[in-house]
Amino acid sequence: MGRRLLLTFLQTLMTVFAASIVLFALIRLAPGDPAKLLIGRTMEIALDERTYAKMLGEMRTEMGLTGSWFSQYLSWAGSLLRMDLGTSFYTQRAVAAEIGERLPATFLLAGTALLIQVGIGLLIGMLSALHAGTLLDTLVRLGCVLLASVPGFVIGLLLLLALAVKLELYAIGSEAGLSRLWLPALTLGLLGAPQMIRVVRANLLSELGQVYVQSALSRGLGTRRVVGHAMRNVLLSTITLIGLSLTASISGAVVIESIFAWPGLGEYALNGILHKDYPALQGYALVTVLSVVGIHLTVEALYVWLDPRITRRKKEAAHE
Amino acid sequence: MNSRRGSHTLVFGMVMLVLLAVPIFAAPWLSLDDPLAMNAGARLARPSLEHPLGTDRFGRDLLTRTLHGGRTTLLSCGLALGSALAVGMLLGALAGMFHGSWFDIVLMRIIDVLLAFPFMVFAMVIAALFGTSLFHLLLAVVILWWVNFARLTRSIVLNTRKSTSVDAAFVLGISPLRILLKELLPQAFGPVLVLATFELGHLILAIAALSFLGLGSQPPSPEWGSMLADGRAHFMTTPHVLLGPALFIVLTVLAFNCIGEGLRDRIDPYEKHRI
Repeated sequence: MGRRLLLTFLQTLMTVFAASIVLFALIRLAPGDPAKLLIGRTMEIALDERTYAKMLGEMRTEMGLTGSWFSQYLSWAGSLLRMDLGTSFYTQRAVAAEIGERLPATFLLAGTALLIQVGIGLLIGMLSALHAGTLLDTLVRLGCVLLASVPGFVIGLLLLLALAVKLELYAIGSEAGLSRLWLPALTLGLLGAPQMIRVVRANLLSELGQVYVQSALSRGLGTRRVVGHAMRNVLLSTITLIGLSLTASISGAVVIESIFAWPGLGEYALNGILHKDYPALQGYALVTVLSVVGIHLTVEALYVWLDPRITRRKKEAAHE
Repeated sequence: MNSRRGSHTLVFGMVMLVLLAVPIFAAPWLSLDDPLAMNAGARLARPSLEHPLGTDRFGRDLLTRTLHGGRTTLLSCGLALGSALAVGMLLGALAGMFHGSWFDIVLMRIIDVLLAFPFMVFAMVIAALFGTSLFHLLLAVVILWWVNFARLTRSIVLNTRKSTSVDAAFVLGISPLRILLKELLPQAFGPVLVLATFELGHLILAIAALSFLGLGSQPPSPEWGSMLADGRAHFMTTPHVLLGPALFIVLTVLAFNCIGEGLRDRIDPYEKHRI
């Protein structure tokens, strides 16, 4: 068990390392000189050529843009390890601090959305599986296909129109607290729900066909308790999907945060694009990559921990 | 109509796609208004007989713009996904054929790295560094989206390679390239087609979301995503400005999802290759 996890962990480290190279290369490939961008066009016009060239040189040294690509990467990666993501071009503040301020909001949003999504998925998926083949089941499946075809921002805007403008149940201008959280979280949760419902339905149906369910039922155990046992196994098989949904929520939160003006990472990244703030965007990309691989690793570990068969199978294979 | 599983869904999706595609691709020859013609007298007009979907803030007819924009959206998404599919199938087939070789190992590590980047995030980085345009978004699609096709093709080629008939072909001295093209790749066509249909739907949604954030096609050219971005500011007072593009996106993606479901049931009734 430990070896398997250690191997996955090392592989994850390699992935993060390679991803940082990709990001570094992208920034170097981008057209335009970041040092020039930071000094600004006005300075270039206002100053005489020699002063400007001197200023540019100083700025390059300060930003770590001198020397070979290799040494530039090494110094950049070194500062990353010290949690230094550079300074924002736009606000002149440390990117790590700015991201740190916004990370909780995005995690709160994505986490709440996940709870809503899992709740809807388990409830509707179970109902649909227990009434497989009936009108209810057909309606649920149709609803899932339809919901999966609607862009997230359309759902968000419709909910906003209905609940904030028409019914006035939601105040968009209020303080960014719990009263502001529920609508964006509901939107994000609804987006991931169809997939969850389908997986729970399919897994529960296949679980109910298993011998242990049949034998429990034939011995007169109540349906409720049997379904309860089956649901435990269904939960186990949805862990992968839960992990995938969480990463989808973290990256998909950009649109939802933009619609609901939720002060999270996505909004920060959009501002970064607007102001051509490379360090901000680089920081955002790195943090999302880290969350993605982190979630992936957690899912892997949970699997090994929750399902002893995985470890046992490995052991048996080793003995043969 | 035959009663095979999925055929109703498939037919429904196909009919819907044709009904959407015909007016979209025939738009230049239909006697519609100019999609760029402004009309200051009819700004933000509500849907009427003259303008079935209303007009935008410049008085441009939204039905015309939606139909014209559909061509850009569908063609560009189709082209980008097609390129990703070709790249993915080629690399995946080679990796499956030469399983365990350095090529396979390196490719799988590259795929691991690319999987760590969510598409939205990668597209945002590209848009920020290289500028906001539809072309750059599509570039991001080709860079990231081949991965799924490569993984699927690789696993199918790998599984098929173990069969006795392929062993026999090797023993008979048939060249590996010929075996790959004649025996192994055809097995992948069905599942890849199913995956591509679903992915096209996902892609249209993702491009729409990015364009909605202002990172896609730029005004004044009509494109579904940029029309949504354009109408966003007036949505609260005149919600109909988003009706046209939003409705067409939903119907198109729905059509692709139905086709995908139908095809999956038909090609792969036992869901051997879980997609």
